[in-house]
Amino acid sequence: MIQTGVISTAHGDLVTDASYDFYGLRLATCSLDQRIKLWQLDESNGNWELEDDWKAHDAAVSKISWAHPEFGNIIASASFDRTVKVWEQTSGIGMPEPQQPVQANGSGSNASTSRWIERAVLPEARGTVRAVEFAPHHFGLKLASISSDNHLRIYECLEQPSLTTWQLSEETDIQALPLSPSASPFTRAQQTNALATPTQTSSSLDGASAPLIAQALQQGLQQSSSTSQQRPGLGNREADGGWCISWCKDRYWGELIAAGAGTSGVIKIIQLMPSNRPITLLTLDPSPAVEGAVVPVDPDAGGPSSSAITSVSWAPSCGRSYHLIATGGRDGHVRIWRVKPGEEVEDDMAADSEDGQWSASIVADFENHKSAVGRVEWNITGTVLSSAGNDGRIRLWKATSGNVWRPAGSIGVEQSEQQENENPAERDIDME
Amino acid sequence: MVGKDIALVHVLTLYSKSGGKSGTHAWREKTDTIGVISFIAGQIYEHEHRRQFNIIHTADALLGTVHFAHIPAGSFLALLPKDEVVKSSQTHIEIGSQAYKLFDDLNAEREKLAEAVASLNTAEQKSRQIFSEPRFRDPTSTGISIGPLPSHNLHRALTATRSRMSGVFTLKPPLVQKPEDLLAAGQSLSATPSPLDNSLAVFTTPASSSQSASRPPDEDQPVYFAGSDVVPSYERRLARFITDTLVIFAAFQNLLKTSRSKDPEWIHAEQNLTVMRKLAIDYVNFIKECWIHASQPAPRPDGPLQYSADHYRSLYTCFSLFVVLYLPEPGYEEAPVGEELMEWLNIHFIEPSTEEGDHLSSLKNPWEDETFWPYLTRATLRGLSKASVFILKMLSGHPSEDLQHLAETMASIISSQPRLQNFTAERDFAYASRRWKDKVKALRVEMEQVLEADRFDDFDNWWDRFSDIVGILEGRAEIVQRVCEELGADWKEVCAAWGVFVDPRFRRQDIPDVVDRILDEMPPDPTNVEDMVHTALFSGKAVDALAHASQLDRWLAAHLADIMEPLSLISVDSQDGIPVRDLHVLAYAEYLHSDPALWRITVDYMFSCGDVGAERGDEVLVRVPLRLNDKSATAPVEGEGRIRAGNVVGVLKDVNQTCFDYQREGARRTICRIAAQTLVHEKNYGLAVSYCSSAEDWQGLGRIVDRVLDEYITSGPARFAQYASDIAPSLQNLNIHHPSSSAVFVHRLMFAVRYSNFQQLRIKHELQSAALDLVAMFRDDVVPKSWWAVTLYDAVELLQYRSALLFSAAGAAELLTKLEEIFVRTSQGSGGDYLDILARTIAGGGYKEALDRLKTVRLAMARYFARSAVLRRANFFILESDKL
Repeated sequence: MIQTGVISTAHGDLVTDASYDFYGLRLATCSLDQRIKLWQLDESNGNWELEDDWKAHDAAVSKISWAHPEFGNIIASASFDRTVKVWEQTSGIGMPEPQQPVQANGSGSNASTSRWIERAVLPEARGTVRAVEFAPHHFGLKLASISSDNHLRIYECLEQPSLTTWQLSEETDIQALPLSPSASPFTRAQQTNALATPTQTSSSLDGASAPLIAQALQQGLQQSSSTSQQRPGLGNREADGGWCISWCKDRYWGELIAAGAGTSGVIKIIQLMPSNRPITLLTLDPSPAVEGAVVPVDPDAGGPSSSAITSVSWAPSCGRSYHLIATGGRDGHVRIWRVKPGEEVEDDMAADSEDGQWSASIVADFENHKSAVGRVEWNITGTVLSSAGNDGRIRLWKATSGNVWRPAGSIGVEQSEQQENENPAERDIDME
Repeated sequence: MVGKDIALVHVLTLYSKSGGKSGTHAWREKTDTIGVISFIAGQIYEHEHRRQFNIIHTADALLGTVHFAHIPAGSFLALLPKDEVVKSSQTHIEIGSQAYKLFDDLNAEREKLAEAVASLNTAEQKSRQIFSEPRFRDPTSTGISIGPLPSHNLHRALTATRSRMSGVFTLKPPLVQKPEDLLAAGQSLSATPSPLDNSLAVFTTPASSSQSASRPPDEDQPVYFAGSDVVPSYERRLARFITDTLVIFAAFQNLLKTSRSKDPEWIHAEQNLTVMRKLAIDYVNFIKECWIHASQPAPRPDGPLQYSADHYRSLYTCFSLFVVLYLPEPGYEEAPVGEELMEWLNIHFIEPSTEEGDHLSSLKNPWEDETFWPYLTRATLRGLSKASVFILKMLSGHPSEDLQHLAETMASIISSQPRLQNFTAERDFAYASRRWKDKVKALRVEMEQVLEADRFDDFDNWWDRFSDIVGILEGRAEIVQRVCEELGADWKEVCAAWGVFVDPRFRRQDIPDVVDRILDEMPPDPTNVEDMVHTALFSGKAVDALAHASQLDRWLAAHLADIMEPLSLISVDSQDGIPVRDLHVLAYAEYLHSDPALWRITVDYMFSCGDVGAERGDEVLVRVPLRLNDKSATAPVEGEGRIRAGNVVGVLKDVNQTCFDYQREGARRTICRIAAQTLVHEKNYGLAVSYCSSAEDWQGLGRIVDRVLDEYITSGPARFAQYASDIAPSLQNLNIHHPSSSAVFVHRLMFAVRYSNFQQLRIKHELQSAALDLVAMFRDDVVPKSWWAVTLYDAVELLQYRSALLFSAAGAAELLTKLEEIFVRTSQGSGGDYLDILARTIAGGGYKEALDRLKTVRLAMARYFARSAVLRRANFFILESDKL
């Protein structure tokens, strides 16, 4: 491990998300301070220079995502102000400006050669928007968002050069989403689905919580870093839940997205079809309730031991015959799922077996963080997983021979003098 | 002097045959006189032209491999001038002018020199006065240098020392005392991996818990950047290590590809094995070169080396052991291996030390020294017959006559031990070995006759010591092992001695059994990775060897695995789709990816690893920054020349070529689309179109044409004409190369081009041609409906031209038809299809203003018809009157 740089004063408040552009030469960061900043790597000296900085939203920005460069320099930001915004960098040469109120960026170092302009505001969400991600480029200029109203929304850009018109092509409640009709009653997926998603309760609660969210927004979010503590019970649903999405990077399987919402602790693999309603192909449920179907799972038990999934990341499959999906949850687990796509089988022979179904198994389950995991993310080749937890550590995971996942180092920001005697157990782990 | 030619040799190693203790050619780090040198091992560069030397020998060009040779010292002519810069690339070397003059002079007398060299080398004359003795510089800095690669990574590498990826890596400046403090402040860390290299951006984020934050929110928050691998150092030699070994790797891949396609049983062909062995030895040579370089005490302005000399030594021992064990010379697979093992041991683990020998030879009564017997035993055990004989001769001064006598006998026995290399048939060797053993037995008998009382001198029981040595010669396994333990030697030594003394017919396939037995009693050192690699190689556990090797250095595991696979040492398939070889090669490639500047090498390795590797390579390849914005490299070439001059787009061309080389069409198209998008952004429409069509991205092409047409609206006809002329050449290419290409977009492109031609004619006041063009456009039906109005409005100027009638009657009628269609359709309510663009060209205008403009067209049209009617009639009258 080696430190390659630092931006000592990146934001005036905690950073909620950072996202590299396609090439890794630029970094977009967003923060509780409602601003988005863009940093450019100066390759001659390895320093990161501020390229642009503007106030993007009226509440904390939660997530930021880059579109594929074949569509230009475009980012989308999601915020607690219940909107998703699409931004584009314009060159100084001046491309045709559509007759649209152009919001000039705040202070910041507008070098007048290029600046970021708001192209669209997507206001449909009825809760704070927690995640946004552009679809893989072969599906066109599309983005998905998920908000605390448990709705997954897919937007498609209709007018590409101007980026102003975005159609809400899909809007679906994750928890109410039906399973694939072809799913056999014997698959694990359906069982767990029946158990773990009591749609009724959660939807009624969500309805009730909507105004609370607004309240929380007004009193807490704009200044402080998390939802207010004075709101026990329902108010904590916001804080205890997890809302996350991740697109399948492959083209072959069509438009697939993994999404998790609320406190249920499951991730659904959702297939989006142009002519049909989205269906759930598979549910990733780590709870051991498969055998003991009697055990009542109450997703609203909430509390600090919530099993909500905070982060999901779909690895680029890169020629593998299966998919890898990583999840991180409030239960402190980092899990890696190996998801095997269903074969396209027509004859009844094969339909008996599980070949026709998507199936999943856990290939790695780590509790090293020992506290809630906030983020998991793969590298570009899907070979290294990074996870971040409340223990103040970034941990890396790699597959070793025999496809066993092992720790591959961790990063912290504490005083390094203590490093030697602090974690003898970890030091023994042989990495790499 | 190589053969009959004068060549440039990059000296890798110097071998000496001085100080006859071992009699083998030992390597030397440096020397001041040519006299002590026996061989020079080096990489040969062939003269190409002027000051250029080529690494690839024409004789070997088909194979494309690097040529190494051991050159007899006599062939050495002169050093390159010391203070001249030598430029080197992967395959070429350019020497300075002074050096070239030297070369030229030598070349002029080539034939005489060749004669002289030949006689010098054969006669082995010591008097080398023919050539003045040049002073040697240290061998590895003989002149080849490679410029520092342009990268900011330099300073990163400086601070870096190799750190195993264990434990917690802490970032600076620290934020908290203990990691728990973060959570207490409602904070936590988060990170996102960079696509550029193996680094992460680490930032402080709100803790994902329901506890509220107590930390003041307005504090400045940092973002850290941390790489998961230490970037390969730019320290020169290592950069060459990576690039040069790639050359061998590529040659090896080539060999596999061509041979496999020819013959499924190719591996058994002797010729192929020979080449494989040669390539493996090339690897060994390179490692050795790096080791020598790294072990030099030269000042290192860039800071300490990323990898120590000892690291390269480890690689060297492992790789050369691999060659000894698994890549014997073809035809010698079944031959006894003992001597080769011992030679390997003697090269890499030198015992007993020269100092001890020098120390003993300086003593009057060496046997009184405590190192005497251990030295003699070790020398014998190692088969260093000359050293043993030398020491035994010293015993002639020993007070015991028995010992004197025995020592003499033993000296003759040791020096007469049969060596495999001196025999043509193994049978003869075995026979000679048996006879030699008999002599040893005789010596034993002789020893036993020495009286018990005479077996001591004043210091020691010499008889016991002597007996041990005889035991070794007799090949008694238990004695060999005990002696090794006493001497502090490890299992490797026992193994090698086994092959020399215990079982002279020790074969490669016998090794694992014997090694297992030895290891039971003398276990390897599990903390020493190098030793573990040796153990696994000896035991024939290729997969284990790779696992240990990857701990030592991913380079080693990757390149060993690469050779192991065709040798069927590791299986081709694995249960999880990625073969063992690919796992290791990919791991190495991933390490290389930590430096984005090495992307070419990274993908070269990745693309050798089946589908998985290819797709990973794609991911890396499409993310190579194209740097289209580098204006500095942009030459001001216009039009077609600009498109053809591919170097304008620097990296893009490179990446494109790599895609072609590896047939990664998908990745190439993605890259082209991105490039096109960027170029459009910069209004470089010509290049954008050519990249779009290269990616067969017809939709993208359509968008570009729209953008160009938009230029008409926003920037006016003149700018538009200029942009459109940029894309004109690609239209021709399109029609030639993609006759079936999506018609709609090409149609629109065609209009853009023709319309711009028309505009240019107008600007140049070639109005007659312009008018013809205008009509032709409508006649050929290339004008999209939305552009009819604009185009017709352009006609006004031509219609009102006073000096001549520019349109034929039929042409004018054509225009009129179109004009009427617009009016009719507009009255039917679908005016938007026709008027939109014209309306946009009018500042603040709408359809009404557009229609008004079209009315002026109608007016001009009416006037034109009137004029033409009058003039025609007039003409008619003139003609008629002429007739009359």
